[in-house]
Amino acid sequence: MIDSAEMVKKVFTQKSGRVETNKGDEYYNELFDSAKERLSSLRAQEPLKDIDLMDVIDSEGVNRRDFMKWVSATTATLMLPPMFAPLVAEATELMNRVPVIWIELQDCAGNSEALLRSAAPTVDDLLFDVLSLEFHEALQAAAGHDADRQLEEAVHHFKGDYLLFVEGAIPMANEGRYGTIGASGETFHDHLQRMAKDSAAVVAVGTCATFGGVPAAAPNPTGAVGVMDLVKGKPIINIPACPANPANMVGVVLHYVLTGQVPELDSLLRPKFAFGYRIHDNCERRAHFDAGEFVEEWGDIGAENNWCLYKVGCKGPMTFNNCSIVRYNEGTNWPVGVGRGCIGCSEPDFWDKYAYERPMANANIKAPTGGVEKTVDEFGLGLLTATTVGIGVHAIGSAIAGKKSDEGEE
Amino acid sequence: MKTVEIVERIEGEAKLNCSWDNNVISDARIDFLNFRGFEFILEGKAPLDALVYTPRICGICGQAHLKATVDALENIYENINEKLEVTPKAKLLREIGLNIEIIDSHIKWFYMFILPDIIKLKQNDLGIYQPLKGSRWLGASKTASETIKSLAILGGQWPHTSYMIPGGVVTDPTLLDLSSMMNYIDTAVMFFEKSVAGVSFDKYLDFDSRDDLNILSGDMKYFTNLAFENSFQKIGTSHNRFIALGESSLFKTGKIRQRAINKLDLSKVREFTEQTFTIEDRANPKKHTWSKAVCYDNNFYETGPLARAMIGNKPFIKELHKSFKDSVFTRVMARMDELAHLLDNTKSLIKQVDISEESYIKPKINLKDIDSAKATSVVEACRGSLYHDIEIEKGKIKKYDVITPTVWNLGPSHKEQKGIAQKAIIGSKSLDIAKIVLRSFDVCSVCTTH
Repeated sequence: MIDSAEMVKKVFTQKSGRVETNKGDEYYNELFDSAKERLSSLRAQEPLKDIDLMDVIDSEGVNRRDFMKWVSATTATLMLPPMFAPLVAEATELMNRVPVIWIELQDCAGNSEALLRSAAPTVDDLLFDVLSLEFHEALQAAAGHDADRQLEEAVHHFKGDYLLFVEGAIPMANEGRYGTIGASGETFHDHLQRMAKDSAAVVAVGTCATFGGVPAAAPNPTGAVGVMDLVKGKPIINIPACPANPANMVGVVLHYVLTGQVPELDSLLRPKFAFGYRIHDNCERRAHFDAGEFVEEWGDIGAENNWCLYKVGCKGPMTFNNCSIVRYNEGTNWPVGVGRGCIGCSEPDFWDKYAYERPMANANIKAPTGGVEKTVDEFGLGLLTATTVGIGVHAIGSAIAGKKSDEGEE
Repeated sequence: MKTVEIVERIEGEAKLNCSWDNNVISDARIDFLNFRGFEFILEGKAPLDALVYTPRICGICGQAHLKATVDALENIYENINEKLEVTPKAKLLREIGLNIEIIDSHIKWFYMFILPDIIKLKQNDLGIYQPLKGSRWLGASKTASETIKSLAILGGQWPHTSYMIPGGVVTDPTLLDLSSMMNYIDTAVMFFEKSVAGVSFDKYLDFDSRDDLNILSGDMKYFTNLAFENSFQKIGTSHNRFIALGESSLFKTGKIRQRAINKLDLSKVREFTEQTFTIEDRANPKKHTWSKAVCYDNNFYETGPLARAMIGNKPFIKELHKSFKDSVFTRVMARMDELAHLLDNTKSLIKQVDISEESYIKPKINLKDIDSAKATSVVEACRGSLYHDIEIEKGKIKKYDVITPTVWNLGPSHKEQKGIAQKAIIGSKSLDIAKIVLRSFDVCSVCTTH
């Protein structure tokens, strides 16, 4: 049994170098060559959609510069060195070779909404023109029995090749009667298994699909679980958060186009490029944490001066995600930006463990990086369970990730 | 003859069961078959936790749920004689946030959910309205994405923001933030002028007669032509009764049965579950949906933009209603008309924000220390009236009841009365028409069942 105060201390003081951002020239040169090969073989394939991205971009003139900006940002998001930028641009162009099928289960459509607002040079030029979204019940034209048919055809036609995006949890209690789909009344579970069977990989989008999310909050009346609890024998990529950040959805597709593999994952099957560091590590209010300047209650002088939100319940120190860098709504803002604090929505069971007003215990912790150090008082008990998850990820992340990457090969 | 059709592109899925008589739908039943159990999940949680739970009921109208929760929690204080002081600034920022969400939803609904189905009645090629690739579809999607950024400035992200708390808001926008928000709203105003209505914004806002239909030249005109070709001005009529529970600077509370009444007694709002599955029992053949039915004084009422326009005396829509009743045509036009008024209203609200005021004033009592209290709240959401009812015991949520707009409009029948959408669908001559009637209510299945 590790001493709990020690664990709390560890969360706040450890260095965040969990993800190797520089793997050395040899590694990158090899990856560069294999990605180049992969892209040229994709280029030789028939495009699923007859759209030339570069034509679109040229015809829009000014967007080319925006596009290149987006490419370098995306290259960095994927944790690749700048030399990969031209390949990322090419991969974007070739996204129309990889079919995507998107299904919705026990969801609120929030991740679909987020996707619609994806960060791109312009949503229209890039994502929807180039991404080959073969099925998405809310966004496509077909409906009813036509939609059912379109889905069956897509699954048949792209057998073994498509990425299956799943939004929403799967209710397992009472033979799955809390969620059925289509005219036949197929349960969400059966539907998921049938769609997953012929996919190249399954991407669980949002905290419901990854860890059961809100429906799985206590007492979990419908027996909701996430995709990874049910689907076996397929590479699974989890993109949690509520909603998941569209930049990470696009990142996963791009990584797949570029390398033909699922990205390196942590022990919770989250891509390390997005979930490799804590929100706290890159938070714009971090300097105030280090200086011991806290918002004590909303509306106080600390709130007016954008000080650290830790004492009003921010879960940034125990939450792994890149929203402090990527932000939401095309980089417009993020919760900490408006003074609300992170609720930890990309962590398993955050509903029960990390809720809004869970206090932090009296663990006397010194800020890790010097400066005017003050003591953070009134820490909370809720932190302890959270810490277990965080440290668990640290300890075994890389071992499992290696295995998962292998499974993802074509 | 009986048929079953699946209706998608409605935020979730619904099953439409129709009985046919002489090629006309003689009876209709709508099933919602997805359930998550929010009301069960909220039981026993800390009251403030509801602020992060309820917005997740829906990825489209989370702001409305957030505001309903914060209002309900503030009403708790009022009911124990500790009424909170909330500054005009905080109230404005809440209303602005909610408005922006409705603006975003109306744009998407028209271009993504309604137009494609109606165009398909006539031709195979949707042209510029083609989902995911038509220029107008993409323009609408882009406009919605830009508009919602003004809400992200206030709330931190969208969907699923939680910037409102009892006592005010956590957000404290600067003047620069406010002018950025104004710029985003102006993007939507320009889109409305150029694409939606095809007339200048000021001119549109002055519309007050049926003849003004002739001045329209954008997609509302295109829709009007298609609607008249398909007789949508005669199809989809229901009980012709309207209700709006909530109010704001733009909307008025009230109901219309024979005449308009602006006072409501919320204790007359009642839910019925004869046809609704329970968590334990789904074998009962009488039960077919997760949706409850809701009545005011034992009658069904339509809620949503048409109801708000009727109760709020919006001249253009009242004139259209005189000629075309509560038809698909009037209902769709009411939503698009509301878009214009919301844009206008939101711009004026942003101008009223005084950044020198406090955003938040701390309540004297913590909700966790309240022994026993109850409260309700009502909010006008994209699709109509949203009602939250909360009960606190020993500092925890004892009961949380949510009644969403789609329950008012799409819920099952009760006693001898058909539900609003049910009645509107009866008489349709094809499934395609029936689905458009259903869509005219802007259905949200995930909200309905929550």
